[in-house]
Formats: sequence, C-alpha cells, structure tokens
Amino acid sequence: MFLISMIIWATALLAAVMTVWALTWAIKRGEFRNLRKGAASIFDAGEPIGRQTDYFPSARKGSR
Amino acid sequence: MTQVPEGPAESRLEQISRILIDDSSRVPVLIWFTSSVVWLLLGSLAAMISSLKLHNPDFLGGIEWLTFGRIRPVHLDIVFFGWSSMAAVGALLWLQARLCHVRLPWPLLLSGLAIVWNVGVVVGSVAVLAGHGSSIEYLEFPAYCAPFFAVPALGVLAANIKMYLTKNSEHTYVSQWYLLAATVWLPVLYVTAMLCTYFGLVQGVSQAITNWWFGHNALGLWVTPIAVATAYYLIPKVTGRPVHSYHLSLLGFWTLAIFYNWAGTHHLTGGPLPAWTITVGVVGSMMMFIPVITVAINHHMTMRGVFHMLKTSPTLRFTVFGSVMYTVASFQGSLEALRSHQEITHFTQYTIGHAHLGLYGFFSMIMFGAMYYIFPRVTNNEWSSARLIKVHFWGSAIGVLSYGIGLCWAGWWQGVMMNDPSIPFLQTVEYVKPYLILRSVSGMGMTIAHIAFAISVWRILSRHHFVMSGPTLFTTQRPAWKEFVNEQNEREEMAQ
Amino acid sequence: MNKTFLVILGALLTIAFSLSGLVLIPNWQFQDHKPVVNPRDGSQYPAPYYGLALQGRDVYVDQGCTYCHTQQVRPKGYGGDIRRNWGNRRTVARDYMYEYPILLGTMRTGPDLANIGARQPARDWHYLHLYNPQITSAGSVMPRYQYLFRTVKAGELVPAGAIPLPPAFQAEGTHIIPNARGEQLVEYLRAQNRTFPLPEAKQ
Repeated sequence: MFLISMIIWATALLAAVMTVWALTWAIKRGEFRNLRKGAASIFDAGEPIGRQTDYFPSARKGSR
Repeated sequence: MTQVPEGPAESRLEQISRILIDDSSRVPVLIWFTSSVVWLLLGSLAAMISSLKLHNPDFLGGIEWLTFGRIRPVHLDIVFFGWSSMAAVGALLWLQARLCHVRLPWPLLLSGLAIVWNVGVVVGSVAVLAGHGSSIEYLEFPAYCAPFFAVPALGVLAANIKMYLTKNSEHTYVSQWYLLAATVWLPVLYVTAMLCTYFGLVQGVSQAITNWWFGHNALGLWVTPIAVATAYYLIPKVTGRPVHSYHLSLLGFWTLAIFYNWAGTHHLTGGPLPAWTITVGVVGSMMMFIPVITVAINHHMTMRGVFHMLKTSPTLRFTVFGSVMYTVASFQGSLEALRSHQEITHFTQYTIGHAHLGLYGFFSMIMFGAMYYIFPRVTNNEWSSARLIKVHFWGSAIGVLSYGIGLCWAGWWQGVMMNDPSIPFLQTVEYVKPYLILRSVSGMGMTIAHIAFAISVWRILSRHHFVMSGPTLFTTQRPAWKEFVNEQNEREEMAQ
Repeated sequence: MNKTFLVILGALLTIAFSLSGLVLIPNWQFQDHKPVVNPRDGSQYPAPYYGLALQGRDVYVDQGCTYCHTQQVRPKGYGGDIRRNWGNRRTVARDYMYEYPILLGTMRTGPDLANIGARQPARDWHYLHLYNPQITSAGSVMPRYQYLFRTVKAGELVPAGAIPLPPAFQAEGTHIIPNARGEQLVEYLRAQNRTFPLPEAKQ
C-alpha cells in the first residue's frame, strides 16, 4: 500500500515536472511570443485599454 | 436620434460589430439567463424549506412531498441544473460569440434547447418530490430526464465548436480555452455517469466512485471553468487593464484540466474503497493549488491599483468577490481532502459550508457579475436601480459569508465531538442547532438578495425604466446604429 | 483551427484518463468478489436483499434517508465509528457487492446505519422511532414519518400490529399501525447488518 501511494505521488510529481519542462520548452521556442497581444485582444479602438466599461446606473449621469 | 458613435471610423466600426454580435445572441442568452433567474428563486425557496426543517422538523411536517429527504435534493438539483448550468450556458454563448468575433450561430435552435433543458429540470424536480429520486447526489433526476440535458449539452458544444472554427479574431483569448473545454466535459461527464449509474455498467462501490467522479467534476470541470473564463474576461474588460500574465493563465488552464479530474474520491475518505483511490483524490486535490494560485495571482495583479473601481461598477464588485472566494474555497477544499482533516470534517456541516462558499460565493457571484454586464448589452436597456443592485450585493455577500463561516465552524466542532465516543450522539445534534438557525437567517439574506435581483431583471426585460444611452452601455441609440450599418452596406454595394 | 482540436483532444484525454483510473480499474478489480459462506448454517454473506427488505430499499431511497445517514464504518483509529459501536469492523468493498444503488451517504446529521439491524433488532423500536423520533431519541431533528402509518379507532381490543406508543404520544381511543411501506422500510433497516467477519476487514 505504501509502495502504491509512493508510485502515485511519484507519477504526480513527474507530471508536474513535465508540465513545467514543456512550458519552458514552449516559451523558448517562442510559442508565447504573441501573448501580450493575446491579453490585449479583448480591447479595441471602441473600448480601448484604460477605459472602465461598467458603472452603476446613473453613477455617471451628466458626464456624457 | 441620428447620433452615430463618436470617434474615428475604425472605432465606430468596431463598436458596431460588437453591438451586432451582442444583438445576435439576444434571444438565446435572454432565455437561458431568465430561466436561470427563475430557478434561482425556486432553488432559494427549496433551500429555505430544507433549512427550516433541519432545526424545526415539524415545519410542514406530514406533507410527504416536502419531506427533508426530498426537498433537500430538489434544492441541490434545481440550483445545479436550473440556476448554475443555465446561467453558465448563457454566459458561455455570449462570451464565446464576442471573443470569436462572430454572430451567435443557430439562435433559434439554442433557444429551443433552453426550453428542453427547462422541461428536464421541471420533470426531474417533480419526479424527486413525488418520490422517484435516486438518492444519488447530483444525479437524483430519474434516467428518463437524461435526454433533456444531454441533447442541449451537445447542441451547446456544437455551437461552441462552430464559433471557434469560424472565428474572425486573430488571437485566442484564454477564456475561450476554458469555455471550449467545459462544453466538451459536460456531455462526456453526464452521459457516462448516467450510463454507469442507471444501466448497471459498474457494480458495488464503483457506483459511489462514479457518483463522486461526476459530482466533483460537474463542479470542477463544468461550472468552475465557465466562471473562471468569465472572470478572465470581465475583470480586464471592466477595468480596462489587460490580464496581468497570460503565461500563468495558460499554465492554470492545463493544470486544472489535468488535476481536477482526479480529486473527486476525497468525498469517500475512510469509506470501503481501496486506499489508493483515495490517495489519488488527495494528490489531485493538492495539485489544484497550482491552477488556483495562478488565477489568484492574475486577478489580484490585474486589479492592483484599481480597487476603487469596485465602488463604481456592479459587475466588478460581484466578479472580484467571486474571484477572491475562488481562492478561499479552493484552498479550503484542497486542505479538506487531506485524510487528517477529513477524519474530522467528513459527514458534518463543514462540507455543506464549503460547498456554498464554492458554488455560491465563487460561482454564483461571478454569474451575477456577468449578468449585470450582459443584460444591458443584449436588451439595450439600463438597470433601473442602483439601490436594488446594492441590496443584492450585500444580501448575497453577507449571507454567504455568515453561512459559510458559521457552518464550517459548527461542522468542525461537530466532527470533533462525533469522534469522541464519550459524548452522546444527540449532543452533537444539539450543538449544531443554533448554527442551523444561523443558516436559515443567512439563507433569508440571500433569498432577499435574489428577490431584489429578480425585480431588477424583470424591470430591464419589461423596459420599465428605459434609458436610451445609459452609463453602463457606452452606446448611443440603437436606431442610429442600424442606420449607420445600412449606410455602410449600401456604400459597399455601390462599390461593387 | 489546430488549437481547437488541441483543446478538444486534451479535454477528452484528461477526462477519459480519470474515468478509467477512478471508475473502470476499481470496477474491474472488484468484479471477482465472491460472497463468503458461513460454516455454521451454510448461508452466504453478503446476500442480496429479498422480500420486504428489498421493497424497503425503495422506501429508503424515496424518503431520502441517505441525506442524513451514512451506511459505512470507518476503520479503527480513524474517526470514532467503531468506538461509538457503529460496527465491530470497518466496512469494505465486498460488503456492498449486491448494493444497487449503493447508499454510502456523505452526511451524519443522524448516526450511521451500516449495522442498525444489529444494534436495534426489535421492530417496535424502529416503528416508534419512525412514527415520532422524540419517543426514542429526544432532541432529534429527524422528521416524523406518520404517513408510513395508519390510525385505527380502538374498540375493546388492541388491534394486531399496533405499535406500543407511550401514553403521552397516544391520542385517546386510537391505535397506530404501520402501513405496507412502513413495514418494508423497517425490514430493510433490520437487514442492515455488516458484522460478519471478512478476511480483508481486519480492523
């Protein structure tokens, strides 16, 4: 039983190490080069970065 | 009335395309959302009846249809299938259409599927109340209800894949991964679990494992990813700040996909199962620290320096509350999976407290936030009252916190007492009673919040307080948009 | 385009992996379980439910007893189950080989019932408890299951099957008799007996 639980933990650890390794490899390979753009992809000229897009009703009355 | 969007033509076009996409999702999203709000009210009613019965067993006593052993599973199933899943589908459809920059495909079909889903919840709830429930948690609805959920789940998956394949956006946003994966997981989970449970594919204790494989994953791989995806969109979108680290968000996605799957067996700690199945559950739960921490870091860092916006944005307030509760409930859940912790808290009110911190404090609050953002954009109307929104927020927030903290505290000591054989069992019952009353009071707070929310939803749908260009919307009059679009189309035609 | 299938494939793989690991492998591991034979009378344990007890399981399920009662005994030294006399050993997978559906439960608002038949073999105790839990367990939050009983007007004689209510709980001139579902449920509860020693359940 001890052996089996050790195997499970070892497998999980191995999976974790492999995940980290795969990520490092992917980053080095430039898979993530466009990520900044990815994060910014939900903004556009109509709703640009830096503009809050939700308010309580009538909280901004008169400002527009 | 002829006012067109301000700014350069490019920005106007982008705004118009966004409005047209929101428009295309109007009917299905409103049906899924409105149904979910109705179920939220019915779920609260069932919750209040169950809660009152637990410290006052003669309340509505003698009515077999409302006996605790039936109304309590009905509460759970209405809240899971009716409220959570329907809200999740609404948010999912709207979000995926927006992120893919495509109009929502098959609006009629998706609306019809919402009706089918509703029929399933009605039939299932009545069946359980009439005594046809299966006593298998999360799967109480009889087998004949399965098609009512499996078919819409597959339809939603198909629509999701179609949007993904026809997307006009250059980049894939992190939310889209979560949404796509969640729609794959739900039908697989549900159909497999129903087959195993009702058609005898597995025997003996494997039934219990299947039960919790489904029960835990239905939360972790269906509603959780949708809420996380929603938060990943709404927090940056409302604050106007891109998500802090995109790398982390991807790491978070894949670790969730790999590890959450395995966590379910911690619901059976100490039970008649081989020890290794429980160990796997513990390991899976521990590994969940990785995705949870990535989400926590990301959302906190995105919010850094703009916490003042919580005062001015209802969406942000609900979403950030939910996001913080995600961290809290997940940490609690991971620790709870440990054997030494389960020895005390398993079989006690602690579990119930934890479940509500998760499904309500985290998931439901994010869905409320999403609805505050989405309803105005698909109805082109404004919320009628800031006060109602505040009642909703504070009722829900205070309600769920006192509920969760109260029951976790009570459950812990209930477990300690239960493990001490020198204390008579009935004394553990007596000890918990005041906290059960606290639970009813907290539940009442949440119910009041839901009623306030339902009034707001009713008003925005019935155009009670119609505002042409409200502060939430940042848009101008719809007729003007339509004209502008027509003009564009004509110009294009002329050019050809 | 490619990423779509990457995500779909990844999602399917992860779920299939856990399904096979958690559900299918244990199911396969247990499939050659066999009942043990009691050398004294040749009976087998565990045995499937039959008769009233089998019908009673449906009543147990329909009334949702499982939402407040478990049917599992944790090992010695883990929790207070055995010291509370809820069982003389832990329950193991073989105990449940004929359970369909399995009703392990996750909540102990009330005590564990894995061995309630051994702890409370008397029918009358169960009838009194179901009719009004306050009779046997004052302060309990269990509801009264009066719809599992019928009331009869009493003549001179006490009708057969009348439950021995204490005078404080008995209305003048009436007797309480369990109905069919009440009898089934009690037989099911009395069949809850997992005390037979199994070689794999040492504790």
